[in-house]
Amino acid sequence: MRGLLGEPDPETRLKILDHLDRNCLIFIAHSPFCCMATADASGASDCTPRGDYPGFVRALDERTLVIPDRLGNKLGDSFSNIAENPHVGLLFFVPGVVETLRVNGRAYITDDEDLRTMLEQDDVRPEMATLVEVDEAYLHCGRSLLRSRLWEEDMRDLAREIPSPGTFWADAAATEGLDAERLDALFDNGYQELY
Amino acid sequence: MMIREGGRLLTVTEIDHPARDIVALHLADPAGDPLPEWEPGAHVDVQLITRHLRQYSLCGRPGDRSGYRIAVLRERLSRGASAYVHSYLRVGRQVRVWEPRNHFALRPAERYVFLAAGVGITPILPMVMRAQDAGVPWRLAYSVRTLEEAAFRDELAQLGGEVTLRATSTEGRLDVREFVGAFEEGTGVYCCGSPGFVEAAEEAVAEWPAGSFHVERFLPVPRDFGPCEPFEAVCARSRLRVRVDAGASLLTALRREGVRVAGGCLKGVCGSCAVTVLDGVPQHRDSLLTAGTVDRMHACVSRAVTPEIVLDV
Repeated sequence: MRGLLGEPDPETRLKILDHLDRNCLIFIAHSPFCCMATADASGASDCTPRGDYPGFVRALDERTLVIPDRLGNKLGDSFSNIAENPHVGLLFFVPGVVETLRVNGRAYITDDEDLRTMLEQDDVRPEMATLVEVDEAYLHCGRSLLRSRLWEEDMRDLAREIPSPGTFWADAAATEGLDAERLDALFDNGYQELY
Repeated sequence: MMIREGGRLLTVTEIDHPARDIVALHLADPAGDPLPEWEPGAHVDVQLITRHLRQYSLCGRPGDRSGYRIAVLRERLSRGASAYVHSYLRVGRQVRVWEPRNHFALRPAERYVFLAAGVGITPILPMVMRAQDAGVPWRLAYSVRTLEEAAFRDELAQLGGEVTLRATSTEGRLDVREFVGAFEEGTGVYCCGSPGFVEAAEEAVAEWPAGSFHVERFLPVPRDFGPCEPFEAVCARSRLRVRVDAGASLLTALRREGVRVAGGCLKGVCGSCAVTVLDGVPQHRDSLLTAGTVDRMHACVSRAVTPEIVLDV
């Protein structure tokens, strides 16, 4: 791999911090969305989306982040992984910014009352939150987002090619009575309730 | 995420620190146009770039339409807005601001007694200025934990009236009853502060006639309204019939059906979500309206007495 990839510029390693500096804190305070990668004890991985008001992931200090657990699919993959293996990788996005912020660390699940109060949104308190002790943080270069043109308005025409969520579900379940139309109605209804 | 229509973007022209853990934001129209007029006691809804929507009292000089001033307390358990303002908001950035509204209007009186605790000084300060300008005698009790937390002390000192500043951590709690004194015809009492402070003030004026005591709260009045019953909201304009289950608020139920109603504090304190009632009887569970008001209600917490309520939405 190294032979094909070559060595990174020495400067590249210099940008890797062991904490969140002011720039990282500003990025996170304006980010409405991130992906969280977790793995179980064997290394089998999951990567899940997290999103809310910009700044929904709160920095308690330069080494600690707290992520609210909002209404989701209740599978709890991330939580069961974290229970076995605390290592998490976070990738933060800010709409319009091609660079992403990578934060790696060790996570713990908490139901601390104060943290849940801080993470209350639209009058709903999350039941749980994920605390992340930061080990590494750095800005990832924007080439992937530039090549993908992710934030360009005209890229949205791709969306209509994607089967509806009910279709995904119905096709995967292949069970009598679980038809796409009914499942889509469930999604539509579920999407009305975000908290 | 609450996206609210309307409002206008104002530029943060200055940020200063009138007290420990309080920042004051000076806001002005980017083109320098005059801002809507307001009266002492008014507040504005402010939406940050993070989409957090909060209510702040206007605490600048009433009549000055060149800019607004609001003050934001750093809250230990900030839900986002206070932390953002204190840590990230900068001069030159913009916030969205809606027209001033006033649930705490200063009414004419022969003399005023003002009671403020902590950041509760914000709506009171313009009242003091107005009283001073009008030549109406006034007294102010301003209760803070420590003197470093007392905002606008210089401005209050310049007004030259009778200000009793009380640092409760060293001097103990203010005896509100003693400060307010016995009822005197023509006195208006205006109070803003924490629930405990407001409660002490309410006790102090318990024997006073209705209409002489005015209060603005940070938190709803804790009251027991009994269990929530389901009811139906008939939306006259949208031609919809919306069922409001026992476990849902009117605001949530309306939004689920796509009826747009503004939201604010969601606790029945700010008045952002007022809707007009055309028929049926509202049960006011908010801290602003009482049973006497039949033509409007606050959708975040209030419900219906009648099985059906007709709304102009």
